[in-house]
Amino acid sequence: MFDPMGAPPALWHNGPTPGGFYNFPAIQTRPSEPITHSKSPVTTATSVIALAYDKGVVIAGDLLASYGSLARYKNCPRILKVNENILLGASGDYADFQYIKSFIEQKIIDEECIGDNIKLKPKSLYCWLTRVMYQRRSKFDPFWNNIIVAGIQDGEPFLGQVDKLGTAYTDRAICTGYAAHIVLPIIRDFLDKNPNPTQAEAKALVLKCMEVLYYRDARSFSKFQIGIMDKEAGSSIEGPLTCEENWEIALVAKN
Amino acid sequence: MSLAEICGLQDFDTFKSRNVYKNDLDSFCTNFNHNMQLGVPPFSNPAENLSRFTKDEMGREIKIKFDHGTTTLGFKYQGGIVLAVDSRATGGQFIGSQTMKKIVEINKYLLGTLAGGAADCVYWDRVLAKQCRMYELRNRERISVAAASKLMTNMIYNYKGMGLSIGMMIAGWDKRGPQLYYVDSEGLRTPGNVFSVGSGSIYAFGVLDSGYRWDLTDEEAYNLGRRAIYHATHRDAYSGGIVRVYHMKETGWEHIDNNDCNDLHYKYQEEKKVREEQGDA
Amino acid sequence: MSMIERPYYSDYSSAPIQHQFSPYADNGGSVVAIAGDDFAVIAADTRLSAGFSIYTREQNKLFPLSDGTILGCAGCWCDTLTLTRILKSRMQMYQHEHNKTMSTTACAQMLSTLLYYKRFFPYYISNVMVGFDTEGKGCVYSYDPIGHCEKTNYKAGGSAGALLQPLLDNQIAHTNLDKVPKEPLTLEKALALLKDVFISAAERDIYTGDKVLINIITKDGIKEEAFDLRKD
Repeated sequence: MFDPMGAPPALWHNGPTPGGFYNFPAIQTRPSEPITHSKSPVTTATSVIALAYDKGVVIAGDLLASYGSLARYKNCPRILKVNENILLGASGDYADFQYIKSFIEQKIIDEECIGDNIKLKPKSLYCWLTRVMYQRRSKFDPFWNNIIVAGIQDGEPFLGQVDKLGTAYTDRAICTGYAAHIVLPIIRDFLDKNPNPTQAEAKALVLKCMEVLYYRDARSFSKFQIGIMDKEAGSSIEGPLTCEENWEIALVAKN
Repeated sequence: MSLAEICGLQDFDTFKSRNVYKNDLDSFCTNFNHNMQLGVPPFSNPAENLSRFTKDEMGREIKIKFDHGTTTLGFKYQGGIVLAVDSRATGGQFIGSQTMKKIVEINKYLLGTLAGGAADCVYWDRVLAKQCRMYELRNRERISVAAASKLMTNMIYNYKGMGLSIGMMIAGWDKRGPQLYYVDSEGLRTPGNVFSVGSGSIYAFGVLDSGYRWDLTDEEAYNLGRRAIYHATHRDAYSGGIVRVYHMKETGWEHIDNNDCNDLHYKYQEEKKVREEQGDA
Repeated sequence: MSMIERPYYSDYSSAPIQHQFSPYADNGGSVVAIAGDDFAVIAADTRLSAGFSIYTREQNKLFPLSDGTILGCAGCWCDTLTLTRILKSRMQMYQHEHNKTMSTTACAQMLSTLLYYKRFFPYYISNVMVGFDTEGKGCVYSYDPIGHCEKTNYKAGGSAGALLQPLLDNQIAHTNLDKVPKEPLTLEKALALLKDVFISAAERDIYTGDKVLINIITKDGIKEEAFDLRKD
């Protein structure tokens, strides 16, 4: 009755066999590939960096869209001014970003047409994006992006990130992709020493970070955009800017 | 009138047809109004295909472990029906609870026992309770146990093969007297006199069969149930905790008592010693 | 031998790597709840992590559903966001329909039904709910991912749940300890214990740390407290 491993036979199908217990997914079977949707990004954009300062937010991302390891498209802007309240930056699949962008732009057009002078606020867009991303992940057809929503709401700077599952959080400094590993510690360290940076300091820090990223991230590019939204001065997207390159060190470094 | 209406934008496709997420709230709680309608997963054959998501993309293991209940037994005898269960709930190797209630009080004349997936059993018992109450209100009499168990098995059968794990006994007292049915997630439904369900059931059966007679007194019947569950908890790692005993009578169910397995162990040991000494003498 | 596993950066792919989409993420976190006769406390750490990186160190994982009911969630954060949002709107609907606030017992049942709805594609969350029961005593409801619910007096859930539950068994229920006198649990004792268990958790569980937020429910309403944990 008992097999050599000592596990008694199943008492009823689908149920737990004593000893050899039923863990959540019952049977380990060879997958029969039931899902046919896109399961990996194709043309991708790398990190976005965003930082809140005392009176606003700074957000930056480069202009490159890579096709695997090929630096394929070199003029793909992905910092977006949604309206007077919101800046948005996205990394990940560029096609998905363009699709989401068309959605958001249409939302803004609809809003203009309604003409009640109510403008989308960053927290609303952030919440809406969370729902969209979660819904797509629940259909197994995710938008392969990390999106940062930056803006000013009720006089306070706001920064929020949404990833492809719909995981969302807000913080004072947010980086997506590779920057989350190499740039975020720099920013956190900076904020520890200087908890309330001015716009100039924040911008200088972001420029420095873009440079670090360009030297270290093989999928990054020297041309980038930087978006700034300030309580008083309003918002603007600057760029394309160029990192100051200095490869002198390459001659010194051997092996 | 706003610009939108003047321009006729409401007729224009502004992605609205694609805005399915607008009904999130309804689509996430359909079973509030339609109890038998559970969410459809975005893939076929959930029993097998869910196992493909045991890791997240960082390589961290996703341990979705359901609580499981194990040893339950029930038997008919001259005094009605006795149900006895243990109280351990295991999620994988972890003991999630030592105090789980494995007998669900559906109404005064119906009890359900719970083996297999705890949430599966409790949810469907609750749906059954509602249906039984509806039946009473419509027909001015209590539902028969046969009908109640059939409602249950029909509901479960709709989800056959999707990974439900249920092995339950439904015990009750109706016009025809005490009734005991076994229902499981395969769709099986059968009446009987003696059942034991769950991973400890083989051990429980051993004790139960050797001590079972139709003409047991009430006290003997409780003791038999208690002892059978105790022996199952002793040998089966997935069973344990407290032994609960219920009695289904003509006047409805009655909760007899709860005993900690640990206490029972020493009590039985003591009795055994006394018997041996008497045997020697 | 075996391939070294390297972290996958979702938006940084260096080659056409074949990876499978997984709808779940384990974002860590622990929740501990303790109830006494006239109070209920629930606490959660504030670290939100994914794999080796920490998303944020200041994520509140406690969700007050009403003045007398609080839910704590740990696990997949996107599921948590969705579930709590639905719960909040259902609470609001109930308020409007019945002109009263939903009781903790009703909330507990509703959560169980909501979780079971996703039986075949479950929310990956450890839920712990606290409030007052029908007799006015503090109570804790703990859940498995598909909605099996049990009413208890204390529960540890989330990434350090298996680590902390035995400690609570020993300190609160005095399980299998014959000589310890049974005294009613006071709020002071519960809070002290809560801090101790989280300090222990931060010591042994990498997914728990940074800070702990505590919500205390008494007859006077909800009070919040916080204390720091190890930041490493």
